[in-house]
Amino acid sequence: MPPIAQYVFNGIVTGGILALPSVAFSLLWRLLRFPNFAVGTYLTVGAYAALVFNAGAHVPLEIAWLGALAATGAVALAVDRIAFRPMRERRPFSLAIASIGVAFVLENLVRFVWGNDFRAYDVPVTRAAVVAGLRIGREQLLILGVAVVLMLLAQAFLLRTRLGVAMRATADNPLLAAVKGVPTERVIAVATFGGGALAGGAGVFLGLDASIDPLMGGSLIISVFAAAILGGIGSAPGALAGALIVGVVEEAGTLLVPPTYKTAIGFVIILTVLLVRPSGLAGSRS
Amino acid sequence: MTTMTRRELLKASATTGLVLAAPAILSAQSKAPINIGTLCPLTGAGGSYGPDMQRSVVAVVERINKAGGIQGRPVQLFHEDDQTSAEAGVRAARKLIDVNKVVAIVSTWASAVTLAVRPLCVEAQVFLIGVSGADAVTQGEHKGYVARTQPNTKLQGTMYAKFVVSKKEWKRVAYLALQTPYARSFGDAFNGIVRAAGATITDDLIYEDKKPSYRSEVTRILATNPDLIMLEGYTPDSVVMAKDIYKAGYKGAILAPSFAVNAKFIEGVGAEVAEGIWNMDRAPLFDSPAYKDFSAAVPRNDTSPYAPQAWDQMSIVALALAAGKGEASGAVIKDNLRAVANPPGSVAYSFADGAKLLAEGKKINYEGASGSCDFDAIGDILSAPFAVQQVRKGKSELVTVINP
Repeated sequence: MPPIAQYVFNGIVTGGILALPSVAFSLLWRLLRFPNFAVGTYLTVGAYAALVFNAGAHVPLEIAWLGALAATGAVALAVDRIAFRPMRERRPFSLAIASIGVAFVLENLVRFVWGNDFRAYDVPVTRAAVVAGLRIGREQLLILGVAVVLMLLAQAFLLRTRLGVAMRATADNPLLAAVKGVPTERVIAVATFGGGALAGGAGVFLGLDASIDPLMGGSLIISVFAAAILGGIGSAPGALAGALIVGVVEEAGTLLVPPTYKTAIGFVIILTVLLVRPSGLAGSRS
Repeated sequence: MTTMTRRELLKASATTGLVLAAPAILSAQSKAPINIGTLCPLTGAGGSYGPDMQRSVVAVVERINKAGGIQGRPVQLFHEDDQTSAEAGVRAARKLIDVNKVVAIVSTWASAVTLAVRPLCVEAQVFLIGVSGADAVTQGEHKGYVARTQPNTKLQGTMYAKFVVSKKEWKRVAYLALQTPYARSFGDAFNGIVRAAGATITDDLIYEDKKPSYRSEVTRILATNPDLIMLEGYTPDSVVMAKDIYKAGYKGAILAPSFAVNAKFIEGVGAEVAEGIWNMDRAPLFDSPAYKDFSAAVPRNDTSPYAPQAWDQMSIVALALAAGKGEASGAVIKDNLRAVANPPGSVAYSFADGAKLLAEGKKINYEGASGSCDFDAIGDILSAPFAVQQVRKGKSELVTVINP
């Protein structure tokens, strides 16, 4: 087996998990015009929400996952009402700083309720199957499959539904959209809920793939940021492609640089894109 | 308003001087107590160990005082809780040093606390002895006022390697460690001995904390076909790593520190993944007379290595004071530490044994509940027994103890 193939496959799975928050981060940035750094922490919220349903109420993880989508969406909506809506007219910079504050608050709320210890879902760990020399885990396939389906649904929503079109209109020109009768706040609410749900779902995957602790999502934000920048802000397919590339480069990069520099790879991607092609892969303008 | 004449001022200051000097005069009397402080973690991350450590110190002191004290002087203990926090530890140490005038602080636990109170103790010439493992605890200038009974990372790496070498079937060993200040020094000691014994170190990989998955690290390690993975991390990252290693289909052995592969770890990965994982940590010297003495005096629920160390620390400090001439002080302890703890000399298993031998004018060698307690020039212990455990059916079971 050429080991490089295994690294690429590992990277694609990591990318699949990254894709969900990256798309949410990217679309919300375009719509609300500020990078919401709390998106990483929504992963943590989702993971713990599913933990409450799964380990607490003994619901199967599939159902708990749906519960986590709804719960995280609701948390994102509440955060928007409390923290971001009163600041809607401020400069993007102020809102970005506020989002970092929100991330701190959420992280510490989780810590306050569940403590600093890591947790795990009540599911058995299974050995990976070897297919054509590649080690492929059942959970990995599941994660990848669900991530792809969610991405397709998000894209279909944006392109095919009235609300999706309204969302894109608001993103392009909020003033014009409002004048034309687009209910801006409703559009924002739906996007916020959807973005939170995507990130929350990814959090469950992350908890399933690794373990659950209060810092799990926040530590991913650099990779999410890199994926969104690489894909071009505001483009869902771009963010998906960006996430997959970041995932693969981070994993395969360990062939060339010591694994302790994994996080640095995200920074290098951000810098390179900003220097070479600031609009990203899919973006036509910044 | 009255003014003081020069004569009155002189008189007043003479009296004040006498009053201020009174404690010194008192302590020069033969019956005045010797003050010693404990700084154990009664709360915080070390909260499961601190109370037993403090009880051990108290038990030793009760015996000393019952037997007539140190050179006729009783020991007075002052207890503070370091809360497993450097900041709380410093506040407590300040109080012990400035208010209680202790000559020694015994039984600090966390390295962060020991490192934080170390400068205060050195400056005030107060002897400090703890159970912290970080290499920095004894490194650098401390004028001999610092010692510990916990092995440094080099000794730990050596003992792990000794166990690996003793298992003849492990010929290909991969070293996989979390990025910590000791990952390198531990690894160098470990890898060196394993190589010298003829086995191969197939890979040496230091990984980053807080990554969602370690699949690629595991892929790299497994590509080298190890039959043992030495996993040197903390519990959270070891959980992720062990799961990824399992998922990747690895069927060989894993060895890890017991402080990482603990009950929380087994709960985190599940009994099936944890099954068969070897883990080891510094152990008390179970079959020594001092340990039997200790366990009779301090009944407890576990066999963790810290309380026996606290027992030994208090015993050694008392013996060093007993061996000293003149005023009891931190300087006396540090000057006599090696004279009472290291060979050569008549073996003493307790303060009572040692004090008797000292009174007969003999040189003694304290052999404790936690090990032989012999110190090198910077205050590190030279050897310690290690317990080897293996996870069987969801619980770590003691397999063997490796004596140095």
